[in-house]
Amino acid sequence: MEDKTRKAVERFVAQAAGASSVVVTEARQLSGGAVQENWLVDLEIGGGPHAGPLACVLRSDSPTAGVAISHGRAQEFALLKTVFEAGVTVPEPLWLCDDRELIGRPFFLMRRIGGTAAGHVLAKDPRYGGDRVELAERLGRELARIHSVRPPQPALGFLPWYEEAPALHLVARHRAFLDAHHTAYPALEWGLRWLERHAPARGLVSLCHRDFRTGNYMVDEAGLTGILDWEFAGWSDPLEDIGWFCAKCWRFGNVAAEAGGIGAREDFYRGYEGESGRTIDREAVRYWEAMAHMNWAIIAVQQAERHCSGEEESLLLALTGHIVPELEWEILNMTEND
Amino acid sequence: MREQPRGDALLACARQVLREQVLPTLPADRKHALLMAMNAMAIAERQLRAGDAPEAGELDALRGLLDDDGLTLATGNRRLGRLLRDGAADPGAPRRAALLAHLREVGRQRLAESNPKVLAAEAG
Repeated sequence: MEDKTRKAVERFVAQAAGASSVVVTEARQLSGGAVQENWLVDLEIGGGPHAGPLACVLRSDSPTAGVAISHGRAQEFALLKTVFEAGVTVPEPLWLCDDRELIGRPFFLMRRIGGTAAGHVLAKDPRYGGDRVELAERLGRELARIHSVRPPQPALGFLPWYEEAPALHLVARHRAFLDAHHTAYPALEWGLRWLERHAPARGLVSLCHRDFRTGNYMVDEAGLTGILDWEFAGWSDPLEDIGWFCAKCWRFGNVAAEAGGIGAREDFYRGYEGESGRTIDREAVRYWEAMAHMNWAIIAVQQAERHCSGEEESLLLALTGHIVPELEWEILNMTEND
Repeated sequence: MREQPRGDALLACARQVLREQVLPTLPADRKHALLMAMNAMAIAERQLRAGDAPEAGELDALRGLLDDDGLTLATGNRRLGRLLRDGAADPGAPRRAALLAHLREVGRQRLAESNPKVLAAEAG
């Protein structure tokens, strides 16, 4: 971290935390996401309610953030605060700096949690995440708590509101994207038509994480330590998140473990149903698993385009485009009979 | 005439060097980047090997399916997408089977280059 940035962060935290002194004792960049940067930051705070050492993560927008539907840091901070107060296990959001003057882009600090999030590791190595029945149940309970956040939420006023059925809203959004894109995707059009013909009516609408999957939560050897990556959150049918979590494309090769490649589907459902008091319609989830493949395919096309357009040269983004054919194939498998 | 060996063979050979000589020497947290690079090389290798045949076949099929010899891949797929959106392959529609068979055939070609493991898993 540049000296200028470090000094700016120290001044900002001193004021936000009501401290007499703040020193950044350690700062290094963690593997960044596609739309934001993460820094490990250790603070030594003198005076005020947070006096003492504090292990944090500093999140800022990526210099080239591009995915149009993801939220900026200020909005992500508001989301974290809302779900933290709803009892969801997330890194505690501490302070937001909206002022671009300080380090050139908005950032916030959150308490650091331990563990690993790597999906491939979790799916292959049972040492992570503790007991897998417990982990699947726990993730179900966490998701139910996310879905306990219902509109209206003034702090989340930036989340787009709509009146149509969530499934049809998604179909329309994806079609609008494909119409504006330089290349047509007939297999995705097939899938979108199926999703339109089978779309469930608008029912309960809640806050949805919209990227709740293995790879986006952290675990240590005892179990869950936090749910991450809130930048796609929005209002939708709660089954959208359940379908996304269970979809075959998010099992990291451990296909038999239908709950995110880490556990049994019924364990996950039991946790969710116990916490929410609502029964999951098993058949309806199948629809949302097809939608999950569609959502991921569209995101993959968008990620690849960031590379192809020259906006951000990245091998990861480039290879993401080559996931599209297998997602199309699975969509055909799921939709060809009706 | 291009010098031998050609691109696909060069990529295959280079991948083998990376897999056997470089990958084992990397610390665990650096292997992922190399595996990504090797995957990219494998895709490029399969595309070189397949040449223009898959796209030429796709264009022929599109022109037949949509009965228009003036189509390009871009305009043909755009029109096919519109037909599907408008219900031309809904259950009971007369062209459903032919349109689905086309999507499957093109899908197989795309998978054969981007991720042939999916096809191998279905066959096995």
